[in-house]
Amino acid sequence: MKNLFSSSQKSFFQTSANILKVIYLSGFFILIVTLGYYQIFKGDYYSKRAEKNYVRLMPIRAVRGSIFDRNGKTLAYDRAIFNISVIPYQIKDSKDALFSQISKYLDYDLALLNKNYKRNLQNYFSPVDIIRDIDKTIALNLKEKFGDLLLINPQPQRYYPYPYQLAHVLGYVKDASSFYEKLKKYGYSPLERVGFLGIEQYYDTYLKGEDGGDLVEVDAKGRAVGFLGKRIPKKGKDIYLTIDKDFQIAAKDAIGKKRGCIILMNAKTGEMLALYSSPSFDPNLLTAGKNTSKFLSSKHSPLLNRTIQSRYPIGSIFKPFLSLVSLEEGKSTPYTPFNCEGQLELGISRFRCLKHHGQENLFQAIAHSCNVYFYNLGLRSGPTLIHKWSEKFGLASLTKIDLPYERKGFVPSIAWKKNHLKQNWYAGDTLNLSIGQGYLGLTPLEVIRAFNLFANKGDLVTPHILKQISNLPSGLQKSINSGVNKENVLIIKKALRQVVISDTGTGRTLNSLGLGIAGKTGTAQTSGKSHGWFLGFFPDKEPQYTICVFLENGGSSYNALKVTGSFLSILKEEDLL
Amino acid sequence: MLNNIKTLNLRLSGFKTIALLLIALNVISLACIYSSLHQGGVFVGSDTLLRQMIWIALSWLCLLLFSFINYRVYYNLSYIIYSFNILLLLGVSLFGKTVMGAQRWISIFGFTFQPSELSKIAIIIILAKFFSSKKESGFIKDFLLPLGLVGLNALIIFTQPDLGTALVLIFLFVSIGLFSKVNKFYFIGFVILGIVLTPFALGALKDYQRQRLTVFINPDVDPLGAGYTIIQSKIAIGSGQVLGKGFLAGTQNQFNFLPERHTDFIFTILTEEWGFLGAIFLLMLYWLILMKIIQKIGDSSDDFVYFFTLGISVLFFFHIFINIGMTLGILPVVGLPLIFLSYGGTNMLINYILLGIFLNICRNNH
Repeated sequence: MKNLFSSSQKSFFQTSANILKVIYLSGFFILIVTLGYYQIFKGDYYSKRAEKNYVRLMPIRAVRGSIFDRNGKTLAYDRAIFNISVIPYQIKDSKDALFSQISKYLDYDLALLNKNYKRNLQNYFSPVDIIRDIDKTIALNLKEKFGDLLLINPQPQRYYPYPYQLAHVLGYVKDASSFYEKLKKYGYSPLERVGFLGIEQYYDTYLKGEDGGDLVEVDAKGRAVGFLGKRIPKKGKDIYLTIDKDFQIAAKDAIGKKRGCIILMNAKTGEMLALYSSPSFDPNLLTAGKNTSKFLSSKHSPLLNRTIQSRYPIGSIFKPFLSLVSLEEGKSTPYTPFNCEGQLELGISRFRCLKHHGQENLFQAIAHSCNVYFYNLGLRSGPTLIHKWSEKFGLASLTKIDLPYERKGFVPSIAWKKNHLKQNWYAGDTLNLSIGQGYLGLTPLEVIRAFNLFANKGDLVTPHILKQISNLPSGLQKSINSGVNKENVLIIKKALRQVVISDTGTGRTLNSLGLGIAGKTGTAQTSGKSHGWFLGFFPDKEPQYTICVFLENGGSSYNALKVTGSFLSILKEEDLL
Repeated sequence: MLNNIKTLNLRLSGFKTIALLLIALNVISLACIYSSLHQGGVFVGSDTLLRQMIWIALSWLCLLLFSFINYRVYYNLSYIIYSFNILLLLGVSLFGKTVMGAQRWISIFGFTFQPSELSKIAIIIILAKFFSSKKESGFIKDFLLPLGLVGLNALIIFTQPDLGTALVLIFLFVSIGLFSKVNKFYFIGFVILGIVLTPFALGALKDYQRQRLTVFINPDVDPLGAGYTIIQSKIAIGSGQVLGKGFLAGTQNQFNFLPERHTDFIFTILTEEWGFLGAIFLLMLYWLILMKIIQKIGDSSDDFVYFFTLGISVLFFFHIFINIGMTLGILPVVGLPLIFLSYGGTNMLINYILLGIFLNICRNNH
């Protein structure tokens, strides 16, 4: 690289530099002349074009997939509504005048118009809905009066024909715009609709389809002068559920205004046939963006899905589970007798029973729900074994049902109490746990899944709601072996039948239904009114259905039995079983 | 000691003009990007702006770093740099990230890096080495060999596909060749051959090409096609008139008529908001940088310096001319950024590195 530095070399370099200078100068000259031509010579022309320049994106929303029940009855679908929209840029100077005119013409609240406008504003050249779901003739009258300033914007709107009956199962649909920041990373656009809660949320990606749109060039008066492109929207997929809408109707009628829930499950497959949480809400109102403060501020929390989102003590429902623990661990046999004198004394405390039962074996103790018997079983088994087996029964773990926001329940342990409450575990804690009280808290769905062990020969099912998407069936959910001894399960199953058929059984009122019900009642004490429970399955020989009825602060299990009775008798009368 | 102080002074004097010009361009770049991130008067995204700031800071670091590395290193390492660059490009085809339908990015810590940009440095270095170390030695060694090296590099980039950068490399080859002592007819013949073959090449690639270009311009509105963008860009520039519409007041920008507006069409934003005067001011900044480099070309101490500085000036000019010509609608839309202004880190980084090397050359050649 050592070049001899000569003057000829130097002049060669200099000549090149001069030639380059001329070339670059001409290049810049061309650019400057062109710029001058556009900006100075034709500046006015282009300014006018800029003023008149509008491209309007008219989004076409995809029709969302419908939702059907197990018999093909429609539970949710999109119907067409008409919205009135404006293009912000087009009305930027006349907005206030226009809105007050519309407000007068329709007798529509002016503040509401402004509020809708603000809420729905995406950008300055796309239509903004200011009135939703307006009668078509009124819409046409408006359009005639205000002309190009307004647009009639037909939109698909979600509609639920059985709103209260299925609210918690289905959820509802909302504009993504209000949650756009969160949804953006999942590929949503602010103009899309998105499912909230229930099936609408859980299977949103299948249901939503793909939005399309027209790209139109318009002049200053809003007249379309050019069509630039179109993307055809794609309809979402239809979804079929395992739920039976008639069961939901019956559940709502049976529970009435009481708080609680009713779950009916296929004992063999875990298919949900009814899943009703009370009180319920109207998803149509939420979908339409109407005033929903009634739901949100209600002290009865209607948006809460009590079947999966709330933990409760389960009272005597825990007793068959404890029996199974004791049998599995050989702490007792079905015929090990315990004497009940109406209470059990432990130190200075007295742990009560409902009455003086005398000597009872497992069958009698379950039928009569004798506390003292289970205090003894609990003391024999101890909290560590109870905790260990609870996990095997699927308690205190998610059922993995296809619904969002499921919570898991809680079964206390010695270690938990030590770590979290910094207290020792006392025998009294064991006694409370033995009768489903104390720190124990479970969701009704967890409880029905675990209870189904007795109906399904000790196998655990996975509760699920999806039957098929379009024509693709959901994978058949297989039962999992819980690891319990089948014979022990059958012993307890027999005892559960005694609850209903024995003259002194706590569930005898259900015997008259003639469905072959076996089950267990439960009354769980709370700081307020007790919770009432009934868990059961039928027919007892070859169980098809497992049921859970839960009444929040519903008094004793007697009320839960009444609701169970009326729910099942509706199903029986209507020949639905 | 005295010598050290003297060199330091020289360092600063060479550095000062370039630094001031770059700072002015930084300010313009951030202002235009900030403006481009507005819609209907509302600021809609800080992420892009922040990233550009980080890239600018990083670029400055590189500028300083490379201004301290003796430029003769590149002469010795030219083949290694070239090979490394080819390997990196092949790496993109295997591990690259597809952005806007073009697979030419490598993602590091969330910042995407575009190795095809590195080719620009590698090619300038290898051509400088090639033409400076050769006496006249015939068609094959003087022409075909460098063409082969550039051609291989361009071909890989072209398949990624990045037509713009591939053309830049070929253009570098022809212009550096024309200013060398190699027989000029080789290069003139090559260009004529290219022009004659272009219709055939376009005929074969037309649909593909058009598709690729539309995807580049704006993936969201592909029905609009390339022509629409140019119309909108022309409207924006023209309506800026002499004084411009003012900062953040460009309606074409604010109402989302300009696709790719903080990358390839950043000049449109500048001219809409700052008018003819703003555009002239920008061109003046570019002219001063180019003059600084041209001055060095004339003063070159050896052939390597001559070809290297020549390469840099040609590269800068080509980008400026093609990009602005494209926004004005007098040149076809190829995805070339406007140097020192467009959003996009790798291009900025590469240009700063080139200037860093240039500053080192200035320092060592006084």
